[in-house]
Amino acid sequence: MYILEATKIYKSYGNKFNKQEVLKGLDIRVAKGEFVSIMGASGSGKTTLLNVLSSIDQVSQGTIKIEGKDIVGMKEKQLAEFRKRHLGFIFQEYNLLDTLTVKENVLLPLSITKTAKKEAEQKFTELAAELGIYEIKDKYPNEISGGQKQRTSAARAFIHEPSIIFADEPTGALDSKSASDLLNKLQELNQKRKATIVMVTHDPVAASFSSRVIFIKDGQIYTQLNRGEETRQTFFQDIMKTQGVLGGVQHEH
Amino acid sequence: MSIKQLIFRNLKKNLKNYYLYVFALIFAVALYFAFVTLQYDPSMDATKGSIKGAAAIRTASVLLIAIVTVFLLYANNIFIKRRSKEIGLFQLIGMTKGKIFRILTAENFFIYFSSLFIGIFIGFATSKLFIMILFKITGVQAIATLAFSPQAFVQTVIVFSAVYLCIMLMNYVFIKKQNILSLFRVASTTEVKKISLLEMIIGIFGIFLIILGYYISSKLFDGDFTTMNELFLAMIFILGSVIIGTYLFYKGTVSFIFYLIRKKKSGYLNIYEVLSLSSIMFRMKSNALLLTIITTVSALAIGLLSLSYISYYSAEKSAEKNVAADFSLTNVEDAKQFKEALEEKNIPYREKLIDVIQVSANVTQILDPNLKELQFGPAAMTIPMISDDDIENIDLSPDETLFAGYNDFLQKFMSLKSSGQIELKGRHEVIPQKYLGLKKEYYISYYFTSGGLPVAIVDETIFERLKKDMNPKIQKDSTVYIGIDIEEEAKIEEADEIFQKISFNGQHDSRLAMSSQQKQSMGLIMFIVGFLGLTFLITSGCVLYFKQMDESEDEKPNYTILRKLGFTQSDLIKGIQAKQIFNFGIPLIIGLLHSYFAVQSGWFLFGTELWTPMILVMLLYTALYSIFGILSVLYYKKVIKAALS
Repeated sequence: MYILEATKIYKSYGNKFNKQEVLKGLDIRVAKGEFVSIMGASGSGKTTLLNVLSSIDQVSQGTIKIEGKDIVGMKEKQLAEFRKRHLGFIFQEYNLLDTLTVKENVLLPLSITKTAKKEAEQKFTELAAELGIYEIKDKYPNEISGGQKQRTSAARAFIHEPSIIFADEPTGALDSKSASDLLNKLQELNQKRKATIVMVTHDPVAASFSSRVIFIKDGQIYTQLNRGEETRQTFFQDIMKTQGVLGGVQHEH
Repeated sequence: MSIKQLIFRNLKKNLKNYYLYVFALIFAVALYFAFVTLQYDPSMDATKGSIKGAAAIRTASVLLIAIVTVFLLYANNIFIKRRSKEIGLFQLIGMTKGKIFRILTAENFFIYFSSLFIGIFIGFATSKLFIMILFKITGVQAIATLAFSPQAFVQTVIVFSAVYLCIMLMNYVFIKKQNILSLFRVASTTEVKKISLLEMIIGIFGIFLIILGYYISSKLFDGDFTTMNELFLAMIFILGSVIIGTYLFYKGTVSFIFYLIRKKKSGYLNIYEVLSLSSIMFRMKSNALLLTIITTVSALAIGLLSLSYISYYSAEKSAEKNVAADFSLTNVEDAKQFKEALEEKNIPYREKLIDVIQVSANVTQILDPNLKELQFGPAAMTIPMISDDDIENIDLSPDETLFAGYNDFLQKFMSLKSSGQIELKGRHEVIPQKYLGLKKEYYISYYFTSGGLPVAIVDETIFERLKKDMNPKIQKDSTVYIGIDIEEEAKIEEADEIFQKISFNGQHDSRLAMSSQQKQSMGLIMFIVGFLGLTFLITSGCVLYFKQMDESEDEKPNYTILRKLGFTQSDLIKGIQAKQIFNFGIPLIIGLLHSYFAVQSGWFLFGTELWTPMILVMLLYTALYSIFGILSVLYYKKVIKAALS
């Protein structure tokens, strides 16, 4: 059972005289409960891919199904409705509203779906304790550290138990300690809550926390790595090797 | 791209953003030009003659320039800050500060001077309308002419050029002071932190000050402050307490109240609260000074406009109060002369003769007990007295007295009980009387009532007794009131013309002339206050709008986040509407409240009608003001739409 099925997606920018193809016929399948990383060099199209998969951007061609529903061609209202029920987001820049406290930020997705206050309270307490942000729940984003902000952001992505969580370079702005903290939490949540996570990253360490890594090059899938039964350390070595092969500019001799 | 192209492109881009600025500028110029034209216009002599019209209009034009200058400088300040990134970029690519300044100057020059000339043209085209409005509300009969006044043109151009130089000077200083790095960093930052105890205290204290000011204003003319000095001090106190209170209100109270609301939600906010409460809570604080000024001046404008409109609106009623018939005379010879003239023109009339004598009355018993410290002695108050024989439908027994001539102003200072014992005193005799109450009707003119005292109506026998025993020291020159009513209303004007031509010996008043004179002076004041108020309304509305433009740019990332989370555009717009209701509504409501209490405390000095004129003024102000709120929501709509692309 695939929770996300994208077939033959194309995305191009510009007009027909000056066309820039960013995604060139990608196929991606993500199963329920998977923790997938998407890696690639700058400009390989990984952020575009994430935006397209998460319905923030529109594809030029192809189909994207989330939980069997085709999201290509949905109207803005339907998309918003879809996003609020089925998707969660974690961004590099945290994307917290700075006029809201940690708790208010985390509870935002629940207020969209009009969840009962008591239930919301309970969910928050549980999740905040897991992510270690319960003590700072009444603080404003400018009063907490980057790692705490990102965990708040993660809490906001998880609170409404979405079908799939998209993370765009979640560790990009964090120091290594906070980054591994966050990734450990993500892994935990992935295993405990069976949450599906799709993460874009260029950091092999971050990618090594996931169960599968998809490498993208020039808008196409270059290769995939499955972690299987490997330890994180050996999986990390594999990722490094693949990246070594993948990296670099093509030299035309 | 050459510099010229650069200027041209900037211009095109900016025009779209600043159409409101251009509009406000054009409006101000047009209004100023029209005012100056009026000042030089020969047909204005009609209004100038009776009242100091030219001086009033000149003062108004100076005030207008003051308002407009402050507005333009403020708006320019907002704009240049918004463009600081662009300026930084120019510097980065190697343009000198002088060159950047020249670009900005050239750009501004185009916008500013084309608006100036459009404004002058519109001002010229509408100056006839202005004069017609002025003539209409002052009731002056004159033909409005349309003449282009070169003097007015030159004055307008000079004055607005001076303002332009000020703006340029400001830009120059701004550019001079910046370096590349700081230019990239100008973006305003909102200070977000937990509300402190001090802020709570400030918040509560702010409300306290405002309420205290209101409370004292309602007591202002209740007799607690009896000397001029005390009254003056009380007014200063009210002003200070309300203004400081307003400032503290924006500084602390708003965030304090919103904080309480948020706290109650315990972290579970819906989208409307996210966009309105949480944003305003922090932003209103940093705009406290600006909002205080806007609120105070709007309150002043609404208050003055209400008062002048009250006065204008009740011109006829006050004239009725002061002159008890269409024409009132105090000399039989005068009356004869006038009657003959009326008969000659075949104007039918009714004549009413009432003997009036002044008596000394002891009203201590019927005076409200807390008013004992009045300046005049209630034990011997000189009031006019007439006989019940002269008044239809009133028949009193010899021991009864009725007062007539209700006056709001008098009632405020000297409220009478509805019944009690009084004494009427002649030279030798003191006659105790039973006081029956105060009637609203006016039977004699203000000449006899010393401007607003009630008249005592007594039984014929008592009247005769006191007439024989009257005290010559307190009598007026005349002891007879002659009221002449014209039977056909249409002929009153004709009769008034006759009346004005005759030279009388005694006190003589025409109700029509009195009311039109009040209309004339109040009309001019209303005209001036009205247009100044309108200018202020437009400029302050623009300032709030520009502030919102800025804010929407600051908050754009938030809209992006919210839309990614799955809020629809219409969700966000609804939230923004709520926000704008607070943003524009709070200053409006505070301003209206201020002006309500100001008007309430002293309106009876100006006229007889409170509610209709005041509510009309307030509704008009609210309606015009709301336009800016609506425009700002439309702007937000654009920003929100662009937030996810």
